[in-house]
Amino acid sequence: MTVFKTFWKVVNHYKGTIILYTVLLIVFGGMNMKSNNQMDFVDSKPDVFIVNKDVSNKITDNLISYMEKNSHIVDLQEKEEKIKDALFYRDVNYVIYIPENYGSLVLNGQNPKIEIESTGDYQASLAEMLLNRYLKIQNLEQMAYMEQNELINAINENLGHQASITSISSLDEVGLTNASNYFNFASYSILAVVILVIGLVLASFNELNIRKRTVTSPMPYQKYNFHLLLSSLLYAGCAWFLFCFLGICLLGKTVLSIRGIWYMLNALFFTVSALALALLISTLTKNKNAMNGIVNVVALGSAFLCGAFVPAEWLPNFVLKIAHILPAYWYINTNNCLKEIENLSFGTLKPILFNFFILILFTVGFILINNYLSRRKQRID
Amino acid sequence: MQKMIEVKHLTKYYKDFKAIDDLSFFVKEGEILGLLGPNGSGKSTTINCLLSLLHFKNGSIQILGREMKPESYDIKKQIGVVFQEVAVFEELNVYENIDYFCGLYIEDEETRKKYVEEAISLVGLERYRKFYPKQLSGGLLRRLNIACGIAHKPRLIFLDEPTVAVDPQSRNNILEGIEKLREKGATIVYTTHYMEEVEILCDRIIILDKGHIIAEGTATELKEHANIEEKITVEGLKLTKDQFENIRNLKNVDKVRFVENVLTITYKSGQNNISVLIEFLRNHNITYQSIFSERPTLNDVFLNLTGKELRD
Repeated sequence: MTVFKTFWKVVNHYKGTIILYTVLLIVFGGMNMKSNNQMDFVDSKPDVFIVNKDVSNKITDNLISYMEKNSHIVDLQEKEEKIKDALFYRDVNYVIYIPENYGSLVLNGQNPKIEIESTGDYQASLAEMLLNRYLKIQNLEQMAYMEQNELINAINENLGHQASITSISSLDEVGLTNASNYFNFASYSILAVVILVIGLVLASFNELNIRKRTVTSPMPYQKYNFHLLLSSLLYAGCAWFLFCFLGICLLGKTVLSIRGIWYMLNALFFTVSALALALLISTLTKNKNAMNGIVNVVALGSAFLCGAFVPAEWLPNFVLKIAHILPAYWYINTNNCLKEIENLSFGTLKPILFNFFILILFTVGFILINNYLSRRKQRID
Repeated sequence: MQKMIEVKHLTKYYKDFKAIDDLSFFVKEGEILGLLGPNGSGKSTTINCLLSLLHFKNGSIQILGREMKPESYDIKKQIGVVFQEVAVFEELNVYENIDYFCGLYIEDEETRKKYVEEAISLVGLERYRKFYPKQLSGGLLRRLNIACGIAHKPRLIFLDEPTVAVDPQSRNNILEGIEKLREKGATIVYTTHYMEEVEILCDRIIILDKGHIIAEGTATELKEHANIEEKITVEGLKLTKDQFENIRNLKNVDKVRFVENVLTITYKSGQNNISVLIEFLRNHNITYQSIFSERPTLNDVFLNLTGKELRD
């Protein structure tokens, strides 16, 4: 028991590290949730300037009135230089040039060309969408109605149609998004806490002179290694429990559900793969200073490449392709799947079970490489 | 008296380099055996072979009457080792470190608690129980290293250069501790290149050079073996070639060295050698700063045997 007890005494020495990564998870996990719970919309209208060369008629006025209703009309001098300056300084996003005789040409069944100038940004696109929508409907209706008032009524009626969208999903979307965000961020904390602490503790136990002392003691070396492995497993289990417990505290009933159990099971598979990776790293290096660097590369690298900090759908394809070689990718992929699956059944869970299988493969791979390197090192020693 | 260690024809190679060459010796129960030799003479390699930390090509090692193997856990239970390099956990304090290493031998917590306290007092670390290794000076760290190796009260202790790079106070403390261990009946194998320590502590000395034994015996026996009676050193003087030759021809003189205004003369026998030398210097009007006579040291023995100094 002396090895087991001492393992925990050494872990206790690194409690600051554990607390740090736990606090990071609470702070950033919590921030993610807050941003998801509030859906604020800001009314955004493009700044539009209309240069009207046509004489006053109802067709042209209707177009101008539609644009006034849906955008912010800017008042400018109709001078080319002033317009160019306004576009350059983004005082206006979109300029519409209505040509002479526009209204009468439309009534004659023609399609007069409206010229535009644009800043090319998002607001300009919005203005262009509005104009295109109006013109498409006008072109459609002008074939059916030749009379001015009828045409205007038909255009306005058509513009007034709105699609009604009803969400039929029974999922608690906000809760599940929060859970996925929390468990995605937890991948960083799990990797850091498991690899760094186990790496540092095992670096102490495997320090050459301490190992020499152990080998000269009556404790069989296999028993010594077994106690270290058992302690590492228990530690990883505690880390997993801590992060799941925090998840329950922060997310409540979302995690205390069947879907929540899948989230936690996924975290367990990931923690075991992180433990196997930690054991491999501790075989590769006994240098405690190097351990910090390795953890930063592995944990931060995984978090950025696999979508723990930034949603995976925002990442470029080539980054996601590279991320396939990291266990965190499969773990995060499962979290994202769990957020979207409507009904949990064997069929819908297939991609998740496949991800679990990949995590097991990673774990077995790390263990096999570790065994090979350990035996090789023993021969060299 | 029982032989605690018996080594026969031990030979160890590091690739093509012969580190130990046909080494045979024994250690009796209760004695302190000093392994003396310059760096690279094979002292640590011998200890590592004895502890089954290194494989060796030829020879046999018996400890406590049984063959020593890596899996000889019954024998290991009775052995304590203090390596040259400090081997302690940075994350544990003084008490916890000793408790951990003692725990590898003693399972009963009560017994262990008692033993750890005794080890702490043996090396004089009572005031530093709660200190972490980083907070200890080099000397205190060495004392902790020793306490970790001997807390479980072993019958046979290997001390591999335990006083390297320590302050005089810690060195005295360590040597006193070793004396106490001897009084309690422990058998000790002590390696060092400090001949003064060996002279003070050891019952028997083995001098190693290039992996083989060049002399063996008590300190007195070794000095007799070297055939040196007296050594006189004169400091701060200048000599001409003729004067140097005249000194060489003085009665009983064996060897004369004159380096950087220091004259060293060794005598094989005779009495009043120093009076004769002083008279010679006065008659030739040779001035000097100091003159002193001393008995030969183990360094002189080593010099006599190998032609080089122990600390070369």
